[in-house]
Amino acid sequence: MVFDQLMGNLIQGLILGGIYGMMTMGLSLIFGVLKVVNVGHGQFIMVGAFTALWMFNSLGANPVIAIPVAFLIGMLLGFLCYYSFVKRLLKGPELASLLATFSVGVILEETVKFIFGSEFRGYNWALGKIRIPFTVLPYTKLIAFSGSILIAVLLFLWFKKTRAGTALRSVVEDSEGARVCGVNVDWQYALSFSIGLGLTVASGVLLTMFIPVGINPNMGGQYTLKAFVIAVLGGLSSPYGAFFGGIVFGLIENGSYTLFALLPHVEPFALTRFLSFVILLVILLIRPTGLIRTR
Amino acid sequence: MKNPSTKYLPLAPVLAGYLFLFLVGENMEGKWQLIAMLAFYCALGQAFNLFMGMTGYVDFGYVAFLGVGTYGMAIAISRLSDKGLGLWLLVIGLLMAIGMATLLSLAVGAVALRLRGAYFAIATIGVNEGFRYLVEGARLWGGSEGIIFTAQLNEAFGREFANVLATYWADVALFVIAVFAAFLTLFYMRSKIGYALTALREDEDAAKVMGINVTKYKIIAFITSASLAGMIGAVAWALKLTYVFPPDVFEIHYTVEAIIIVLLGGAGTLLGPIVGGLIYGLSKYYLAVILPGFQLLIFAPIIIIIIVLFPEGTVGVLKKRIQGTFWAKIII
Repeated sequence: MVFDQLMGNLIQGLILGGIYGMMTMGLSLIFGVLKVVNVGHGQFIMVGAFTALWMFNSLGANPVIAIPVAFLIGMLLGFLCYYSFVKRLLKGPELASLLATFSVGVILEETVKFIFGSEFRGYNWALGKIRIPFTVLPYTKLIAFSGSILIAVLLFLWFKKTRAGTALRSVVEDSEGARVCGVNVDWQYALSFSIGLGLTVASGVLLTMFIPVGINPNMGGQYTLKAFVIAVLGGLSSPYGAFFGGIVFGLIENGSYTLFALLPHVEPFALTRFLSFVILLVILLIRPTGLIRTR
Repeated sequence: MKNPSTKYLPLAPVLAGYLFLFLVGENMEGKWQLIAMLAFYCALGQAFNLFMGMTGYVDFGYVAFLGVGTYGMAIAISRLSDKGLGLWLLVIGLLMAIGMATLLSLAVGAVALRLRGAYFAIATIGVNEGFRYLVEGARLWGGSEGIIFTAQLNEAFGREFANVLATYWADVALFVIAVFAAFLTLFYMRSKIGYALTALREDEDAAKVMGINVTKYKIIAFITSASLAGMIGAVAWALKLTYVFPPDVFEIHYTVEAIIIVLLGGAGTLLGPIVGGLIYGLSKYYLAVILPGFQLLIFAPIIIIIIVLFPEGTVGVLKKRIQGTFWAKIII
């Protein structure tokens, strides 16, 4: 009985983990290239969630269509942020960029609150369900999972096979060397910052396909913390590490929830979140390069 | 700096500032609430500046220390109110608050202070959230229902005194804490600790090579700052509100406010937190009247502008202007 429940939750965790991975790739890309930690990460995810919600409820658009739209919104925000202040802060202390991205998060949160109000919302995109061993999966979750894998593969191919991707990798390896070889480092920074944010906002749409309720302007903060844990699991500066970190985290989260629910006198949901924080600190302490080795 | 009489001279404008605020509150009708809010922000800034300003590390989980401080006072009052301890109850509560904040800061500091820059920030963001969910998840101290101790406070001190305690003495205590924090800041600045912290803020590796035990000094600043936060939480939240709920006391917005105040005033300066606290508190108070609900939307871009254009803050800019004059000895 408990075993069946655990297996069912682990399958759900695997699917959710794929989305978590996608959710964190942007954070890792930005940290890997610019060495900037986007403290407002979760708020960009929230923007994606609202994009999906708004397009579904007002335009009747399929959330799948919202993915590219959200990606473009993210890129636009990315270029806007990069050229208005991120560029100026790259040379300064880390503190400056942390505070700036934190403020951007606050601005996004407050703006969305102003436009949409702060109540909880959701949308209902029912496509039916499929029975698999141990659990029942709605098709929307499967679409979200395949979508995040597809995007991860596309990013991988873009990195490894295209000229722009090669230039970007050269900047990561050695930005001075890349500059000498004629790579426009500044443009690469701008591009990766906005692609990173594009991925993040797009992942917000995928997230709502998995959990279509509870969309509200303050939902971002919890995902910032989750994304940090995942990024640290994957080594913080590697987008692929982040993807696999996401899957590991999804499994841990759902598995531990099932186990915590067996304990008396506790709130398993809150304890699961506490556990993610413990994982974060332990990994930062013993293996800051991440659990998953990626080359 | 050899002369001990001028060593603590920079405390004069700080004291004058707080005295002025206090007298305005005492003598102007209906302004006490505003003054109490300003005292809270100044004290918060002063305590936060002790760590952030002096080390250059930003603790995004700072509010957790105010939170456990609030719990310290709340637990003391709710458990010991029938023991007839009189005013000692408050002393015990305050000691509990300081003790709990110190313990948490020791635990957090031992882990997080080994990390630098981005990694430190990530770890501390987790601290606040993680601690909140530990309290809720393991049902510590009432779990997500929190502790309500209005009745116990009234029982221990009588309704009338409890009321005066919340509306007057708690605010006076905040002034005392703010002055105490300023004094500690200056004491650290003028001692070996301050020199070590300045060295590590400017270049941590160089400081290490020079043989400074950077971890030790970081932990000293961290614990001091955290225990001050515990006191602020105990006084400004526990005594004034007479209840404590996890989502209220672990609210990250207070950390943001502390960061804004320190940045506005000038990180690492003695006078900065007062200036920042006054600017922030007054503009928040009057913005709430003119444009209710928009304070954060206005302040967030201001942080970005300050970081880009005036990273030294108000007092930092002022200090550059008066370099070499008599005032440079007083305003630091």
